[in-house]
Formats: sequence, structure tokens, C-alpha cells
Amino acid sequence: MNRFIRSFRRELQQIVIHPRYLLLLTAGLVFSFIFFLTFMREGQPQKLPIAIVDQDGSYLSRRLCHEIDATQGVRVVAVYQNHNQARDAMQRQRIFAFLEIPKGTYNDVLGFKRPHISLYANNAYLLGGSFSYKSLATMTKLASGAVQREILRKKGYSEKAISGLIQPVELDTHAISNPTTNYQPYILTTMLPGIIGVMVLLLTIFQLHHWLQNPYERLHVSGGDLAASIFGKLMPYTLWFSLMGIVGNLVFFGFCHYTMLGSFWMLSLTMLLFIFAVQGMALFLTGLLPEMHMSISIGAIYGMLSFTMSGFSYPAISMPGGMQAFGYIFPLRHYYLAYVDIALYGSGFRQYMPHIIALILFLVPGIIGIRLIRSRLKREGVLDRVEMEALKQQAEQGVLESEIV
Amino acid sequence: MIRLYNIVKDIWDVAALELDRIFHDGGVVLLFCVATLIYPWIFSYAYQNECIRNLPMAVVDDSHSVESRRFASKLDATPEVNICYKCNTIEEAHRLMQQRAINAIVYFPKDYGTRVVTGETARACLFCDMSSFLYYRSVFTAANAVLVDEMQFIEADRYSRAGLSGESRAQLVQPIQVDDVKLYLPNGGFTSFLVPALLVLVLHQTLFLGMCVLYGTTREKRLIVRSVPARLRHQGILYRVTVGRALAYLIIYLPMTAINLLLLPRIFNLPHIGNPMSIVVFVIPFLLAAIFFSMTICSFVRNRDAGIVVCIFFSVILLFLSGAIWPQSNMPRFWLYFSYLFPSTFGIQGFIRINSMAATLSQVKFEYLMLWLQAVVYFFTASGALHYLLHLRSGRHVSERM
Repeated sequence: MNRFIRSFRRELQQIVIHPRYLLLLTAGLVFSFIFFLTFMREGQPQKLPIAIVDQDGSYLSRRLCHEIDATQGVRVVAVYQNHNQARDAMQRQRIFAFLEIPKGTYNDVLGFKRPHISLYANNAYLLGGSFSYKSLATMTKLASGAVQREILRKKGYSEKAISGLIQPVELDTHAISNPTTNYQPYILTTMLPGIIGVMVLLLTIFQLHHWLQNPYERLHVSGGDLAASIFGKLMPYTLWFSLMGIVGNLVFFGFCHYTMLGSFWMLSLTMLLFIFAVQGMALFLTGLLPEMHMSISIGAIYGMLSFTMSGFSYPAISMPGGMQAFGYIFPLRHYYLAYVDIALYGSGFRQYMPHIIALILFLVPGIIGIRLIRSRLKREGVLDRVEMEALKQQAEQGVLESEIV
Repeated sequence: MIRLYNIVKDIWDVAALELDRIFHDGGVVLLFCVATLIYPWIFSYAYQNECIRNLPMAVVDDSHSVESRRFASKLDATPEVNICYKCNTIEEAHRLMQQRAINAIVYFPKDYGTRVVTGETARACLFCDMSSFLYYRSVFTAANAVLVDEMQFIEADRYSRAGLSGESRAQLVQPIQVDDVKLYLPNGGFTSFLVPALLVLVLHQTLFLGMCVLYGTTREKRLIVRSVPARLRHQGILYRVTVGRALAYLIIYLPMTAINLLLLPRIFNLPHIGNPMSIVVFVIPFLLAAIFFSMTICSFVRNRDAGIVVCIFFSVILLFLSGAIWPQSNMPRFWLYFSYLFPSTFGIQGFIRINSMAATLSQVKFEYLMLWLQAVVYFFTASGALHYLLHLRSGRHVSERM
């Protein structure tokens, strides 16, 4: 324990002497916090640009145009004369959707001829396309309903009977734990821990390699104890980045009021375990790949994949079986699953215990990594030298003591 | 003539030197050649199912009526969801949801059936798991389709009872018919939407990362000056070094780009309705801009380690800045202009539009011109950075030249 504390203190000294590295990374982290918090502050894209192709030019088409423009979801940026113009605007990415009202629509409505109007949405931009589609589909449905209502009124139905006829079934949709279907909590709560994870992963690999290039001094500080030396070296970063993660969560759940049904402290503990798990993987990669550029490149690939494999954007259940299994070697996946259980559902400990255990299990590759590093150092004769020095020192101390006696 | 020959020779020499440097570093080769190909493969493989099918859900039916059962069985018949549980109470269903056994609940209150029969508006409730937006999207799509179908069915039934039938009934049920067309990706697949953007981003980021590793190591070993042939260190002809190096990266990245942007969409059956020639023409300024951009930034990154770490997590930010996910029209002004600094923004926008939406070059004129502008600007900054590194830095590097 003493050896560990000495190594820990040594690393703290190092950080205080050369703070630029850590400051740079912290600044990067703060930047991405601010970026994501300000970037999607609308929560859900609103007032998306769309167009109307109005070939009818009637009272009905103009009114529809105004009413669509008045909705929260979309705004009409242009009224075109023909289909090709609108299609061109879509390919130029000026609009996400357009509504085409052909000539004679109003006449057909009056004559009960059931006219067709067409709605085109651009699915190549998933968010813009589907949100503008949703708004336009609702508006066209309402327009159809308005016509129905008018006809039924003229037929002499009562208002109550009319609303029963126009809307026989209503579906109340409840989005659990995200009632406003806000995009921000969904992206941020996993994305930012992911970013911290990638940072810690690469930082740890770098630190370990620098340590390995000149291990004597550090090993000496911790009296030749490799594990204590490594843990002591990594611990300041573990604590710092866990703190960053917890502060981030504090901003999300305290300041931004994202849903948190469970215990915040449990989530903080999960964050701490997540950072440990990432460091375990970093140790493993460093032990496995002695060449620095190799382990950095592999670490970079692994880190970037964690966003995909965590399954928060594209659910893992829709991935092929092999990929689902592959996902479990990413700590971010377990963090995400635990977050959902804790924050969105407020489940009991028994529910998310497997994820917590999985995160703890990531210490196993860490231990394997230390073993690999140890055998490497042994091969290179580093450990023997340090041990010899320690023995020599002890012997000298012994001589000194005997002299005093 | 000899002058021209000299220029070409100098450029070629630098390119050969740079290629040599690249291929002597295993990590950089891994990033440039292997990562560039392996990422798209993993993405396409992981996302191959495009949409979510057969999400498990539960039904809580308090009304026990024909109408509620009809609704539920129609829901079960949609491709998106699968009714796995029939629960007696909403609490029971909620427990299942907590155990993550289901992703949605549909609830019919006691009076659902009666209300449908008596001609009032009947209400049902849908509860949806929000841990991923794709769950919500699938459940919502399925429920909405069933709702529309069911409404028309009940309406038709009510009008029949009111003595209307045939065409006059159809006129009332749907006085205006709406045809909806989902353009470009009719199935609304996640893969087809995201992977084209990732293909471009991967090129941009591996290039940047590889260069970061390479330049960082050169700086660390204090070989910056020595990495430039002595005869080319003069101010006037330093541009030949920049061009030569860019040529080396182009030689590696042109085939990589061809594989990623032309071949992979065809192999994995991603959208590929664009004109391949337009893609080729579009991609050249993109690569140049990305190369010179990376050169500029990498020359200034003092701390290689931090540079690499920042670059990695910046990939995510670049993906959002590109407007492929969050619409450009809805970005805060500041971030929109900020995104114009990066070649990936225009590269992704242009590629999606040409490749997935069959836009012509004239329709991506803005992006195309901006990429050329970036290429030119970053060429000058890259040359300037090299000049700074060679001539303006303090004694330590001058002594290194000796």
C-alpha cells in the first residue's frame, strides 16, 4: 500500500510540474460538453425547411400552405410551380420535404372526386426527412378531416357525432422517461462518457508506453513493485476523469433536468467502474502490443468502435449475433445498459448488477496486461536490475544501522 | 524545360521520401490502409439489418373486446413489432419493461370496445421505450400505420350503419387522398443513411490521425529538418515539399477512396445511384483539402499524444457538424460556420447528395467550390507551417541541421 501511495504521489508531482497535457485533454472535454449542449439545444429539429408545389393555386391550397407554415415542425421556404423545381431544391439540400398539390384539387374536393395530393420526404437525411414527413402527414390528415367535418355538418350531424366519425380511435403516445422526445438526453448521456472513455483509453496507453521507455525511476519509487507502480501512476487519471464524468452527469441530471429515476450515486459508481474498465483494456492492449504505434492504432480503432458497438444509436438487438457478442468487450456498452436501468427505469440493483459485474470483470484483462508487461520487463532484465538496486540499498541501510548500533 | 523537369523531379523525390517514411511505420500503415477499409466493413456488417424488426411488446387489454383484439393483432402483424406478452395489469407490463423484456406497451382502457361501438372516440395508450430513438421510431411507425388502418375501418363501418355505402362512403372516409413517397431511401434504413457519411469521415480521420502519428514522431525524434532534402530547404521552393508530400498521400488515398466510395456501396448494397464520374471529380478537392488541412494542423500540434486523443473524439463532433445527422438548417449559426473549417463537412454533404440522392455536380456547387477554396487556403497554411518549422524556430532546430 505504501509503495502504491509513493507511486501515486510521484505521478501527482509530475502532473503539477507538467500540467499542459492534462489541461489540454480537460479543455477538449469541456469543449465537447459545451458543443453537444449548445449544438442540439432545440431538442427536436423544429421549423425544418420544406416547400409546396402549388399547381392548383386555389383557396384550399393557399390555406393549406399557411397552416403548414404555422406548425412548429416545419416552415414553408418556397412555393414552386412544378415538381422538377422542388426535386432540384431537395437535391440542393434546401428543403427536406415537399407537398405537391396538383391542378384542380379544390374543384375535385368540391365535386367529391377524392383528389390525390402527394407528399415527398427526403429519407437520405433521416432526422430532417422523418420529422418533416411527420409534420406534413399530420397536416394533410387534418386537412382531410376539415373537409370531412364540413361535409358532415352540411349533412346535419351533431358536433359530437362528427368528432366520433372523424376520429374514431385516438392513440396517446407516452415516451417513457423522455416525454418531449428530446434528442439531447438520448445522445449526450452515452456520447460524453464514450468520449471520456476514448480519452482515458488512449491517454493510458500513451502513459504506459512512456513509463515503459524509462521504467527504472518509477519502479524505484515503488520499491520494485510493478503492480503498485502502475496503479499508482494511473490512479490520478482514474480519479480525475471519473470526476469529470460525474460532473458531466451532474450537469445533465441536475442542471438540464434529464430524467433520473434511480440513484445518482449508483450512476457515479458505474462511471468510476467504467473508467477502471477502460484502463484495464488499455493495460491489456499495451501488454499485448509492445510497439507503441501499434497499440495506439489498435486503441484508436477500438475506441472509435465503442460508439457503434455500445448500441445506443443503433440497438444491438438488430445487429448480427456475432456483432452482439463482440459488443460486450466494450465497457461503454455496459455503461449504457446500466445507465438505462438506473436513470430511465429506476430499476433495482438486481436488474443492473450484471452490467456492474461485467465492468468489474474488465479488470481481468488489466491484470493479464500487467503480467505481460512484467514478463517483458523480466526478459529485458529491467526487473532484476531494479531488484538488485533495492537489495543494494537495503544492504547499505543494514550496514548503516549496524554501524549506528 | 529543364526547370520544369527539376520541379517535377523534386516533387517526386519528396513524395518517394514521404512514402518511404510512411511504409516504415507499422502503426501508420495500419491506420492508412487497414483501418480505412476495416471500419466501413464493420459498420456495414453491424448495421446490415437496416431497420428494427420484431421488437417485443406487451398488450394490456382491460376492455376484452373484439375491437381491442383486432387492434392488437394488427399491431402484431406489422414487421416492426411483435406482441410477446399479454398482461393483466399495467404494473405487470411495466415490470417487464423494467426487466428489459419488452420495448413497448399498448394499453386499452375498459371502455375502449364500448366507445368504438357507440360511435364515440375510443382511446388507447402506447408506452414506448426511449433508451434508443430507433425503438421509438419503429414502435411509432407500426402503431401509426395500424391506427390509420383501424380508423378507416371503423369509419367505414359507421358510415355503413348511417346508410352510406360505395363511392359516397369512400368520399367521406377520405375526401383527400395523400400519397406519400419516401425519396432516396424508401425503407428509411439506418445503414443506408449513416454509412455513406461514415465512409467519408473515415477517410478524413484516418488521414489526419496517420499524419498526426507520423509528424508527431518526426518532431519527437527531432527530425523535422532532416526530413526535408537539403536542396529544398530554401524559402522559394519549399512549396515543392508540400506538393510532394501531398502527392504521396494522394497515391495512397486515391485507391482507398475508390474502394470506399465507389466499390463498398456496391458490395454492401448501400445507396449508389450517383454518377461515379461526379464522385471522382468531387473527391479530388476533398482529398487535397483534407491532406493540406491535416498537414497544417499536424505541424502545429506540439504534443503528439494529446493531438491524437483530441483527434479521435473529434470524429464524433465532426460527424455531427457535417449535418448528416442533425440538419444543417437547425444548427446554431456559430457551429454552422465553425463546421465550414473542416473538409469533412463539405465532403460528407457532397458525397451523400451525389451518391445517395443522384445530385449532379452543379447541385453541389457550393460544397465543391468550398472544398477547392479550402484546398488552396490550407495549401498555403501548410507551406507556411513548414517554413515556420524549418526557419523560424529557435536554436535547437538550427543545431539539429548540422
